[in-house]
Amino acid sequence: MQPKFLVLTGDGINCERETARAFQLAGAQADIVHINDLLAGGSILETYQGLAFPGGFSFGDDLGSGQVLAVKLRHGLGEKLQRFVESGAPIIGICNGFQTLVKLGLLPLPFKDRVMALAENRQTHFIDQWVDLEVCTNSPCVWTKGLIDLEEKIQLPIRHGEGRVVLLNEQEESLHSQFVSAGQFPLRYKQDVNGSYARIAGVCDPKGFIFGLMPHPEAAVSKLLYPNIDEISNRRDPSDRSDIGVGLRIFESCVNYLKEK
Amino acid sequence: MTMSNIARIEVRSLSGQRRDHRIAHHARQFLDIPVAAAESIAVYWIQSRSGKALHEDELNDWVHTVLVDPVIQAPIHEASDLDFSGGEREEPAFGIEVRFRPGVTDNAGRSATEAIHLVSGFARENDVQVYSGKMELLYGKVSLAHANRVGSELLGNELIEEIRSYNLNELRDNSRFIDANVPEVKLGESPQAEEINIFVADEHLERMSHKNCWALTLEELHAIQNYYKQPGILEFRKKEGLSKDPTDVEMEVLAQTWSEHCKHKIFAANIDYEEESGDYSGFYPKLGKVRIESLYKTDIKGVTKAVEEKRNLKWLISVFSDNAGIVRFDSNMDLCMKVETHNSPSALDPYGGSLTGIVGVNRDILGCGLGARPIANTDVFCFAPPNWPGKGEEKQLPKGLKHPHRILEGVHRGVEHGGNKSGIPTVNGAFVFHHRYAGKPLVYCGTIGIMPQKIMSQKTKSGTDTFVKGQAPGHHIIMAGGRIGKDGIHGATFSSMELDETAPATAVQIGDPITQKRLADFLIEARDRELFSSITDNGAGGLSSSVGEMAELTNGATIHIDRAPVKYPGLSPFELTVSESQERMTFAVPEERLDEFMELAKTRGVEATDLGAFTKDGYFRVCYGEKTVALLDLDFLHNGHPRMSLRAKWQGPEREKIWFKTPGLPKIDSKSVETRGFYEQAMFTLLSRWNICSKENLVRRYDHEVQAATVVKPFVGQAKDGPGDSSVIWLAPHGGEEFNGVAVGCGIQPRMSRLDTYLMAQSSLDEAVRNCVAAGGDPGQVALCDNFCWPDPLPSKKNPDAEHKLAQLVRACRGLYDLARLYGTPFVSGKDSMKNDFIGKLSNGKSVKISVPPTLLVTAMARVPDVRFAMTSDFKAGGDKIYLIGQSSPNMGGSELAECFDLPDSMNAQLPPKFNAHENLEVYRTLHKAIMSGLIQSCHDISDGGLLVALAESAIGGRKGVSIDLDNCHNEVVAMHGSHSAFLFNETCGRFIISVKPEEEENFKNFFESVSFAYLGEVKIDPILRVQDVGLVIVDASLSELKKAWKGEEI
Repeated sequence: MQPKFLVLTGDGINCERETARAFQLAGAQADIVHINDLLAGGSILETYQGLAFPGGFSFGDDLGSGQVLAVKLRHGLGEKLQRFVESGAPIIGICNGFQTLVKLGLLPLPFKDRVMALAENRQTHFIDQWVDLEVCTNSPCVWTKGLIDLEEKIQLPIRHGEGRVVLLNEQEESLHSQFVSAGQFPLRYKQDVNGSYARIAGVCDPKGFIFGLMPHPEAAVSKLLYPNIDEISNRRDPSDRSDIGVGLRIFESCVNYLKEK
Repeated sequence: MTMSNIARIEVRSLSGQRRDHRIAHHARQFLDIPVAAAESIAVYWIQSRSGKALHEDELNDWVHTVLVDPVIQAPIHEASDLDFSGGEREEPAFGIEVRFRPGVTDNAGRSATEAIHLVSGFARENDVQVYSGKMELLYGKVSLAHANRVGSELLGNELIEEIRSYNLNELRDNSRFIDANVPEVKLGESPQAEEINIFVADEHLERMSHKNCWALTLEELHAIQNYYKQPGILEFRKKEGLSKDPTDVEMEVLAQTWSEHCKHKIFAANIDYEEESGDYSGFYPKLGKVRIESLYKTDIKGVTKAVEEKRNLKWLISVFSDNAGIVRFDSNMDLCMKVETHNSPSALDPYGGSLTGIVGVNRDILGCGLGARPIANTDVFCFAPPNWPGKGEEKQLPKGLKHPHRILEGVHRGVEHGGNKSGIPTVNGAFVFHHRYAGKPLVYCGTIGIMPQKIMSQKTKSGTDTFVKGQAPGHHIIMAGGRIGKDGIHGATFSSMELDETAPATAVQIGDPITQKRLADFLIEARDRELFSSITDNGAGGLSSSVGEMAELTNGATIHIDRAPVKYPGLSPFELTVSESQERMTFAVPEERLDEFMELAKTRGVEATDLGAFTKDGYFRVCYGEKTVALLDLDFLHNGHPRMSLRAKWQGPEREKIWFKTPGLPKIDSKSVETRGFYEQAMFTLLSRWNICSKENLVRRYDHEVQAATVVKPFVGQAKDGPGDSSVIWLAPHGGEEFNGVAVGCGIQPRMSRLDTYLMAQSSLDEAVRNCVAAGGDPGQVALCDNFCWPDPLPSKKNPDAEHKLAQLVRACRGLYDLARLYGTPFVSGKDSMKNDFIGKLSNGKSVKISVPPTLLVTAMARVPDVRFAMTSDFKAGGDKIYLIGQSSPNMGGSELAECFDLPDSMNAQLPPKFNAHENLEVYRTLHKAIMSGLIQSCHDISDGGLLVALAESAIGGRKGVSIDLDNCHNEVVAMHGSHSAFLFNETCGRFIISVKPEEEENFKNFFESVSFAYLGEVKIDPILRVQDVGLVIVDASLSELKKAWKGEEI
């Protein structure tokens, strides 16, 4: 069966089309659904196996990134979202979607008190650059399984102004070790790129279904989108660039999980 | 505790999260004020507009659910909560509060209001409104005068913001919480339309025109008088209840429609051109004595027509008729492009000006055909150098002008927000620096859009052509998006006047990217369901222009302006009609689609209002309540303005004119100019010039790859920091063919203007095409867009050399015509801005006029037939062979080197390098074929700084070394009269540095048989750039030194 994903849009979300395309390239069906339709229409969510919060600037990042979108979803979707989460349906939040998941209180511990935030970058401004990442091998995350034995370097673009992971003041170390032992930090930056605590780039819930990350895998679904031709083959050979990119592995991981389930 | 109906809440980051703000750095760097650290606190004013008191519990709930992130922030409800004993720092010296003036777009306030309304019935019932602002705490030895300067020069802009400073005692005082007030717009009753007696003496008439910001000339006012005197018009007006006198609405509609900004009167004028006789050594083409009837028709549209016919082009779908030009480079999708300028608004408020510039040109694309989706933005800025005036030079900057660094910072932030928040990648641009941009900065904002060739909805089985607008009589006129306010009144006419200190605040606006994003998403959805028949944006001139233009097709329109939604009550009919309030589009909706259209708008959170209908009676009619307040013959409105007749006389090349005494350039004699010392000094100087150095730290703040289709990004190479010549966008993710793409490049060469604008225009065009070709663009499929920014070419007492400036315009147009025709590259869209002058005073009281150098931006979009072969500028591997392609010619006129040094006569710094356009075209065609067959490893076009700079950039991009021996290209050096300096630094058009694999060398030589090329040397693994001449080292520099010079310090 082809898994079906709902890709949210509206109110300033702007990566919905490439996110839907990434799911489609990974072998899933993906429908772009406007948030107002989702909130208005009875049981739309139940007809999907997975949910994606794409990147963008929901409500212009006013009042903090993802903040107002989270308020709108919490008030408009409430228990429906809770039931969806509890059913074990995979959810991904990319960049602004990650920020929204955190503000919604779905990460790192669903429906518990907030212990994490995404604050303004160390640089104090927006930045677009490709970064190298390392994947955690003992994570339950269903989205990153396909990255674990990858021969290729994991590189994705970051494009954000507020992506610095912050853990609750004065509890950083204990929270960090708790989440590390549960495998809840599936992705880390290889270098410090934005001041993120312990170079955290992606976070999942204890069960590994909900995954939020600042880098944009949907912008790396093809090697044609890689920033540097040289890195791919060392010598310029155009045929090398039509290969699939590392970002697509993330979508494939989840789609394969659902197909095998 | 009893509460009032207004509460003030401050939101402060928790201890440990309070970060040093860039403000502290900027205060020290630019203002020399010892701010040790700064801390930004968000401020919100929450008002229950019903007047009912706010409940404390409810307020707390809003604060915690909406305004604060509890992990990193805490709310401050009263002054005593503001704790300075955290131990992190001492107490602040001052706090500076900045908030918008009444009526200025407040995006954070709007979002907070929306969120609070989501969570609270009380908020909805009592019309709770949130206003946002900030408080910047300044730490260190800061005086009140310091604090005020930081406030007005770094934090806020008094034109649109209220700025207030608090000392430490005031910060601890609770009265700002207790006596909180809000910046609410309070206007009286809505004024009615008024009649204006224009049958008065000329002198009086001219004063009226200036006072009302109509910017109409006496000739135009006479034409209006004549219109109102016509018996037929008089009679019809009488029948419709109007007097013989025009209403203020009519005068405003005419003024906006006839403004230079909207009607391009200079480009439409009759011009008698001649040139001063003189010997220009054959470098400057003589045009002789000519009479031109509209440069726009004969030169710009003219060359497009000539090219279209000569080449029998099939891919020009719609040119010069819509909001943007449309071309067909793909079998599924059409592309459209448009570039605008937003110079005057950016001078007044750099942030708001550029933000509205970018979201404004996005609307041109959204309103092109039946609507296109923006897929890329471009931006080009011309500023005075941001490190000028430095210490001791302050008096060089006229009073009332903003420091160039502030303009750069604000403009850059505006484009960053405008593009990023709209989800449109900023893929190409340029920064140009010259003192003469101090009076008016130039801010060019461009957008590329994409649309399916046909809309295949369920309504029409065969599909509807997307590029065709189809409004018809009876279709409803719907305005959708933002509301109307006093902001943006007179933008069109204001930009048609020179800048002085009395600029109206209403000409400045802040954009709201999210309201526009909602509108854009809705628009594409409605397009694909065929819910409307036509669309255009509300830009300059507001509804009067958008409806007035759309009405031309049906031959009439009637709008009921009182139905338009307003930001606040109290606007007069003329304000409603001409306000340029942002984020609005006008749609034509057939009756049978109206319900569905309005329903979709509602569910997408887009406000849409039915204002009236298109008619066919030949009139543009505006009603206010029961009354007709404007009734204008459409033909008169669009074609009734008198055509100008102007004289142009070219005086030949000029010397550089700067209004202050500049320190002389370092003098280089004819002997030292040919020494190793000079070559190396010149190379490092050039690499670190504002016009050449890397702008990576600015450009990386733009999202250049959202929408996941940017194949060649602005920075390329091993460490992703080499310069890209042009960006390449892949069309498959946008619905295009699998490997199809377009390259987007630009050319701008104002340094050449003082010599000859004919050559300047050609250099700009060549650079734009060259950039595209370097990245894989097909020179046979290039669409161009022209943007002229000129100093005032209209004669007046204030403008004695108008005829020369107009002649420069003529020469630029002729230059474009000649080269575009030869290259076969049509223009598909363009725009001009003709009043880029500032008149003011220096601090010594002396009057000063600063005009921009004649500046032309050419933007090019070229098809890349296979994006897998897209090319970048970085050297790829050691051992690769480096070649120079294209013909070099001597002369350093207009070069960056000539801006750095006082060169000896032998270098001919007053003469431009010649180029052979036929040869260039042949080079482009050959190179393109070579790139598309995978023969080339790297390709970098040679532009500012010349050959040596291009080599250094390719080396930096590839993290490689270079070894060159000039003996290999002996003939080229001989052609430069034997001057190595001329060879290394001249900027002849049409040249590239390319590299090929050693085993491909023979193949390469055969391929390039028909064009000029010269072997230079090899790419090296060893990171050294070395140039030799018959074994003698004449340039030797390590890659890290080159990188340091080019990447430099933070801007």
